[in-house]
Amino acid sequence: MSTTHEHSHAPIQDEDATSEFNVLETAIRELAVEKGLFSAEDHRRFLEWAESRGPAGGSRLVAKAWVDPGFKQRLLSNGTEACKEVGIDWNDPTGKGTPSDYTYFYVLENTPEVHNVIVCTLCSCYPRPVLGMSPAWYRTPNYRRRMVRQPREVLAEFGLDLPLDVAIRVHDSNQKSRFMVMPMRPDGTEGWGEEQLAAIVTRDTMIGVALPQADWKADRSPAETPRSAGR
Amino acid sequence: MTKFNVGDRVTVRDATSMFHTRTQMYVRGRTGVVVSHRPEWVIPEDEAWGRENGRKEPFYVVRFRQTDLWPSYAGSDVDTLETEESERWLMPAGKEEGQ
Repeated sequence: MSTTHEHSHAPIQDEDATSEFNVLETAIRELAVEKGLFSAEDHRRFLEWAESRGPAGGSRLVAKAWVDPGFKQRLLSNGTEACKEVGIDWNDPTGKGTPSDYTYFYVLENTPEVHNVIVCTLCSCYPRPVLGMSPAWYRTPNYRRRMVRQPREVLAEFGLDLPLDVAIRVHDSNQKSRFMVMPMRPDGTEGWGEEQLAAIVTRDTMIGVALPQADWKADRSPAETPRSAGR
Repeated sequence: MTKFNVGDRVTVRDATSMFHTRTQMYVRGRTGVVVSHRPEWVIPEDEAWGRENGRKEPFYVVRFRQTDLWPSYAGSDVDTLETEESERWLMPAGKEEGQ
């Protein structure tokens, strides 16, 4: 070990590199390529496309709902249909969704009384068409097992302390539905347009582990501002 | 025609299972309230085997009080958890299993 490396920690390991799921995925993919179901380049293009999708669609949905009560109603009553109004089709690219995913989309509205947060204890179900790929921590067994049984502790670890009279409602997406949280519009955003609002609706606010703030944008570097301690 | 209505108290069957179910262990034997209906979907027990035309059943959103799920829950009494269960896994609260 280098003597100039001052802090000590366990070696960082690529823990999933040899998991049986990785081996299975590789085996099936190679068989599918050999069989001609799709080419290696098709697969690469799909990954490139899937991994380039971010949370911008979700941000647009929330911002539009904040300024347009009619849209908000449509979004809450039929999420999948309302998504088409901002150009998101849950059936893209297969035309029917996949058998166990991309099928039913529900938006969970935060209120002064109820704070929603999403998790998938069985695997890592996530509303990818609107939020893109899930963050790595969302897929960890630690987040998945603790968010259902110790939500307040986990939220506090994300820096979110909610009063005890605000009900925390955890949504375990175990079946075909996918969920996204619609946070409350924060103070200090009066008169803002959709685009300006969308910029503060970050990924984590739509998972439910953070609240949007008028002075915090998703593309802002944490180094640009003083720390938020004592906020 | 669905067996349960919104507002009904239901208990998740405390059954053992050998194969894929999507019914989490932590809700088995626990009682909650139906808060919403979902469409009829092919049950995971069939879909897991690639039977996309398998048995369809109504699904329900069930809301549990966290203090009912976890005896040592340290949050607030108003905290809840919602998840979806197929009709076969639910029974009216208060009924004994297997009667």
